[in-house]
Parts: sequence; structure tokens; C-alpha cells
Amino acid sequence: MQLGGAVSRTLAWPRAWGRADATVWIGGGVGVLLAFLTLYPTAMLFYGSLSDAPVGTLGRFTLAHYRAAYTDPATYRLMANSFVFAAGAAGLSVLLGLALAWITVRTNAPGRALFELVALAPNVLPPLLVATSWTLVLSPRIGILNLTLLRWLGLPPLNVYSLGGMVFVEGLVLTPLAFLIIAAALRAMDPSLEEAARLAGSGHLDAARRITVPLVVPAVLAAGTLNFVRAIESFDVPAVIALPAGIEVFSTKIFREALAAFPPNHNLAATYAVSQLVIAVALVLVYRRITGLSERYATITGRGYRPNVVDLGRWRYVASGAALLILGVLVVVPFLVLVYVSLLPFYEVPSWEVLGRLTGRHYAFLLQSDRAARALRVSLALALGGATLAMLLASLVAYFAVRRRGRLTGALEALSFVPWAFPGTALAIGLLWAYVQLPLPIYGTVWILLISYVTRFLPYGLRPMTATMVQVHRELEESSRVCGAGFLRTFQRVLLPLLKPGFLAGWAILFTIYVREFSTSVFLYTPRAEPVGPLLYHLWQDAQPGRMAALGVVVSLICVVVVGLARRWVGEGKTLR
Amino acid sequence: MRRLRLAVQVCAVVLGVAVAASAQAPPDVVAAARREGRVVVYGSLEADAFDVIRKIYEQRYGVPVEYWRAASTRVLDRALAEHRSGRGLFDVVLTNAGPMRILKAQGVFQKYVSPTYEDFPPATRDRDGILSPSYRMVVISVLYNTRLVRPEEAPRTYADLLDPKWRGKMVMPDPTLHTTTATWLVNLRRVLGAQWRPFVERLGQQVGLVESFLPVVQKLVAGEYALGITYVKYVKQFSEAPLDYVRLNPVLADAHLVGLARNAPHPNAGKLLIDTLTSRAGLHALAQTGEFVLVPGIYPPIKDADKLRVVLMEDLDEQEFRKARDELGPLFRRR
Repeated sequence: MQLGGAVSRTLAWPRAWGRADATVWIGGGVGVLLAFLTLYPTAMLFYGSLSDAPVGTLGRFTLAHYRAAYTDPATYRLMANSFVFAAGAAGLSVLLGLALAWITVRTNAPGRALFELVALAPNVLPPLLVATSWTLVLSPRIGILNLTLLRWLGLPPLNVYSLGGMVFVEGLVLTPLAFLIIAAALRAMDPSLEEAARLAGSGHLDAARRITVPLVVPAVLAAGTLNFVRAIESFDVPAVIALPAGIEVFSTKIFREALAAFPPNHNLAATYAVSQLVIAVALVLVYRRITGLSERYATITGRGYRPNVVDLGRWRYVASGAALLILGVLVVVPFLVLVYVSLLPFYEVPSWEVLGRLTGRHYAFLLQSDRAARALRVSLALALGGATLAMLLASLVAYFAVRRRGRLTGALEALSFVPWAFPGTALAIGLLWAYVQLPLPIYGTVWILLISYVTRFLPYGLRPMTATMVQVHRELEESSRVCGAGFLRTFQRVLLPLLKPGFLAGWAILFTIYVREFSTSVFLYTPRAEPVGPLLYHLWQDAQPGRMAALGVVVSLICVVVVGLARRWVGEGKTLR
Repeated sequence: MRRLRLAVQVCAVVLGVAVAASAQAPPDVVAAARREGRVVVYGSLEADAFDVIRKIYEQRYGVPVEYWRAASTRVLDRALAEHRSGRGLFDVVLTNAGPMRILKAQGVFQKYVSPTYEDFPPATRDRDGILSPSYRMVVISVLYNTRLVRPEEAPRTYADLLDPKWRGKMVMPDPTLHTTTATWLVNLRRVLGAQWRPFVERLGQQVGLVESFLPVVQKLVAGEYALGITYVKYVKQFSEAPLDYVRLNPVLADAHLVGLARNAPHPNAGKLLIDTLTSRAGLHALAQTGEFVLVPGIYPPIKDADKLRVVLMEDLDEQEFRKARDELGPLFRRR
């Protein structure tokens, strides 16, 4: 196999390892699989960006879409707007995620196990709902907070319909992902380094600044990178907040001119997506450059350690208070709005009279509805299976990307980002065209959903895995190989247990995303197996916000229980015994 | 702009033409449909509304119905993708007239003239015998929150919407993002004549913008805005909310059509589904969910629905949409 040969030359195995063949084959296999999953659907879109015929059909070569997209001065003006928005939102998410992760993972603050589980919940809620919830809280006219607290305190109303409002809400939407990636890295870190710093005379804050911060830099960068691109691409928050505020960003332009045009112009959408791809790949390169000295960060070595926590003394209550405050903004507000909407015939500003109108009928509907029960079954199966498969693939990709650094392995990591740079709706079209034409019995079955979930969200699983992988020193696997274990055995017995924090973090992100995934599912699901995401969206779209909110509440609770059980079952945190 | 090639479709739809009870389906078609085992429908009709058709169909023929529901542009994208690759999984498509005409032009449908079509106004029938008549319409008007606006204060005409007292209190979808709103504004030209341009210019200064019709009604119900341009049927769907609508004269409406796929895997079951949907019983059941249908004497349970003068909008083609977006964009987005 040519590719396998090329991989083996580039990767330059340590000769002592002997059985390099299996590794080469597996490396090649992962590369081919990844290339197929990512390049096949995106090639449809790239081809479309250079063709004068609709995506999926043969056409003539043209640069007209590029001219239309990139000679318009508005494109660059809006990119600048988007940049401010995305940088602000990504920055806020990393800040909140880091604070929450440090408190829950590295300190003895009371209640931290619960915080950690609860921090996941907002990932289950579609961003559209989170954004809508915040308009109900912070609208200058009807916002609950503006009408109550701020009025009583005599403060001017806060206005969610502003650039600051967009950054705030998008930042919150992105925080669970940042939290999970950073928490995974913190969990995999050897705390004896901090202790050493403290013994050497540094205070807690100083130890955190000098030891913890540099060690979590790869994870922070990973979270920042992912969230930056995600914010550039996001349409939900801009649609709910920027539109009424009269603020224009890049993603609203893509929607206006390509995706929401009639008929939708997917060629143009793909053309716009190319610039997102360039940004994403550039960020990956920056990230790889910074983590290039990965040995510097390797903290899990053969010495063995028991993870312990930093004793904050009386400050631990302050830490808990800070975590509670973050969770209040992150989870409690949108979730309470959701519960409130699920108990009312229609939304109205809270008052004493409203209490008389509370109803449980939307939950009764869920209990009676075959459609809701089936959607839950389909989505749970897809989320459990999909998240596990995606994380196994992500572990292998992360291994080759971190351990076998070379041109091809860099390409491997960049590959996983390709589909992710496209707006969800545009990628869904690429997937639709790719698999409808494939002469395999995949299209029209639930398998296509599984494939598309793995393809689109692989970077989410990959980031926590690579962030954890750079911390695992290679001496452990080398010992295993020296003792005669082959690649697969080493991977299964040594690496996977060490990577458990990253694996679980990625698994939890993917599980919560898959359970409510909408924009790809909606094109590809079959009527016999409608998942939760499209059902939530259609309940919303069919003017049934009460039912939608009730289903949202139920799905969030199920997710928290499943992720909690998974953690307990895997026994996270006990990396070395 | 394209000539008024569909003058017949643009004309006021007479809601008073008799639609006879559906003819009995031939026994051989029913037997063939049962052998086919199921029917697959792609459409943008709300799931609850489609459910009433499904129930009638399954009771009549005992053939299960699978319904894939999505927004109209997604219906268009998926049906086209499957058709072009020869992997069509669907038998029937039902959505707005615009996407249905594109699908027809791409050869997605086969000829099928249901016996029920006889009873629709001739002006709404497809000369090629491929698409159904406009069996259902989505009617657009101005809704208001009755807690914020008393009925006697509410606007009565299109011109009343420009009253300075509504400035900043009215909400509508962004016409450069929402195609039905763009179509509505362009079609108003025929209603308002020379007054159209000043009307649109001033309307742009009055309104707040959102993504589509649903956020409009949600903001009305929540009390964030007093007036909003959206579907009249939401008055029924949010029946407990403090909502009423302005009886504009005329009100504009978007037609919905249905067609049978050329390569339908279950063609006979598909034909029976179209028969059921466009039958008097089917349309009657649909009306009860709040839909405006083309059956004489049958109206949705919305006050004064029978008194409205409904005009079907002329759909725009790709160039016309782009032109409308360029023309309307600066008027509505100059903040």
C-alpha cells in the first residue's frame, strides 16, 4: 500500500520497537478512513464552489462565485465584525471554562462533583434556545432581569441586543466545550508540580500562575481555537440577537446571500466557507506550533502519581461561590426559562397571575407521544454509539498527530478540521450529495446519521484527546513496547487508560451534541427514525414552544444522568493505580 | 421583473366554487397501494396538521404513512438531490408553490390528475397536469397583542401601519433573509400601486427585524412588540395567547401544492395520498387545524376568516429574489 509506505517513511519509527508494520497499517488505515470521511463530502462543496452547476451535478469551471464573494468590500468589513465577535466570545468562554475547570478539578471546593456534571447541561440545549432565553431575561422591554432587579435597584436596563450582548450569549453557549477540554487537561496533570512550587515558597495564586497556567496552555489554545471558529460560523445567536440589533456579521451574510436565498445557492456558501477553512487551518497550525514542544508539557510520566487536589483552606467556599455564580449564568438561567416555558400555555412575563395558568400538559403530551419516545430511542442509540466510535477514531488520530509528528500526521489533524469549517447547513448538503450517490446501502438509513455525526464533530473529540495526549510521556508506551506488546495491545492497555480523562471529556461533549444535533440530521434522517434534534426544531417551528421546552428539559436531564453514569462506570480520574 | 405570466394565479381566489366529495378510488389502485406497503411523503406542512391527513389515509386504506418534515428550501434540496442521483425515496412532495415549480421544471414529478382536482377553481389548476391546484394557502397579515393594543386602536389598513405611533413597536422578518416576506413586499406593489415605494420606504423605518414569521409571533406573545407581520393561522395555534389580527383588504397568501414523484417507489399509495389530501374530507380536517383551504364554506376556526379577501401571491424567480433583496435591503437595514 503506497500511502502506508509513505506514512512509514515520514513517521520514522524508533527501530527498537520492532513490530512497526501493524502501526504503519493502522496509521495508514486511520488516514484513509479520515480522508474518506472528511474529503468526500467536502470535495462536493469545493467542486461546487468552482462550478457553474448546482452542487452534486457536473458543470463548467468558473471563478464567478469567488468573484462574487471576495470582491465585495462588505465581505471584509463583516469579517472584521465577526472577528471581534468571535474573539470576544471565545475569550469569554475560555475564561469561564478555565475558572470553572480549575475550581472543580484542582481544588477542594465543596460541591465540585456536582458542578462538573451540571456544567454539561447547556451543551444539550440548542444555541437557538439559549439565545432566545437570554432575550427573555435581558430584553430592554420585557427582560425579567431588567423589569425586576435592575428596576428595583434603580439601575439602567441592560440591552442584550448589542455587540456586548452577542459576545456574552455566544460566550456562554461555547463555555461547556472550553470547560470540558480544559478540565480534561487539568485532570491529566501531575499536581506534584504545583506542590513543588508551593514548597519552594510560592502562594496558591502564584503556583497557579507559574505552574498550572503554562501546563494548560495547549488545552486553553485548543478550546480557544475551536470556539473561535465555532463563533465565526454560528448563525443562531446572530439571528436572535444581531438581527434585531441591526448588527451584521459574516455568517448572516452567508445566510442572506447563499443559504437562505431562493433557491439556496450552495456553490456560493461553499465559496464563503473556504475563508472559514483558511482561518481554521491557520489556527491549527498556530496551535501545533505552540504545542510543538510537547515534551515540555509531558506531565504523566512513568513515575506514577495519585491525583490530589489543592487545599484552598477557607477560600474553598469562595471558590464554590464563584463556580456557583458561573453556573448560575451558564445553566440555571436558560434552564429555568426552559422549565418555565414548558409549564405555560404560552410565554408571558412572570407575574402572580401566571402561576394560576401553569400546566403539565406539555409533559403529558411527551408521555403519550410515540413520536417523542421514538426520537429519544433513536437519538440515545446514535449518541451512545456515535460518541464511542468517534472517540476511538479521535484517540487514534490524536496518537498519530502527537506521537508521530510529521508532514503527513499534520495533514491528518488538519483533515479532521476540513468539514468543520463549513457552515452546518452547507456541510449537510455536501454529505447529502456524497452519500446519496454512493452505491452502498447507507443513504436512507440511520447509518448515514452516524457517519455524518462522526465526520462533522470529530474536532470536538480530537481536541481534548490531543490536549491530553501531549501530557502523556512516551516512556510509558515505550516500556510496553519494549516488553513485547504490539501497537494495539499497547494502545488498549497503556494509552487508552492514561487518556481516559480526555476520552471521557470528548465523549461527553459528543454525546450531548449528538443527542440534539439538528442541522446535519434534518437533511439526512428518514421518516421512520426521526432524531430528537429535528423533533425539537419542528416543535419550535410548528409553534409548540411548550412541548419543545418540555422535551428539552427531559433530554437535558437524561444527558446529565447518562454522562454521570458513564463517569462512574469508567472510574474517571483514577488514571494510575 | 418577469411579466405576469401567471395572471390566473394572481387573481383573487374565489372561495365559493363547489368542491364535490372525492370520488371513490378504483379498487385496483387500492389493492396495488396495499401491496406497495407504505407511502413516503416529504413536505413542509406542520406535523400536527399532516397528522390529520395521515389518520384519514391510514383508516381508509390501512397503508402506513411516513412523513419527513422540513422547511421548504430543505424539501427542495433533498428531493432534488435524490432525484438527480436516481435514489428517490419519496412518493409525494408537498410545499410552497415556488419550490414545487422548481421541482417540476427539474422533472422530479410525473403527471397525475387526481379526480378531486375537477372541483377546484380552474384558475388554480396546472395546465400540464403535473402539480395539484393550490389546495392550501398560508395567509399573511398583521397580528397584535391585545394586552398592548385595544382592538379600536389597532390599524385597519396597510397605510395605518405607517402611523408614527407604531414606530419601533412593530416587528417583521428581515426581507433579505426570509423569502416569503420578500415575496409579500413585492406582491404588495399590485395592491398599493403608486403608493408602494413610499409605503415600503417608511415601513422599513417603523419595524424591528427578526429571522422569520415564528419569532415575530413569539415576540408578540411575549409582549416585546405590539404589532407584527406574520401568518394569520398563529391566532389559532396560540389560541390562549392575547392575539388578534388586522383584517387587511386584501390579505396576501402563499399557495401550497402537491405532486407525485416520477420515480415514486410506491406510486399507487402516493396517488391515494394526494387524493386524500385534496379531498373534501381531507381539506375539511386540515381547516380545523387552522389552515386556510380551498373548500367552499369551510374556513379555519379563526374569527372573520370567511370575510377575508385572499389574493394568492405571484412567486418570484431567482433573479427577482436577488433584485428584491438588493432593492429592499438598504430600506430595511439602514441602522
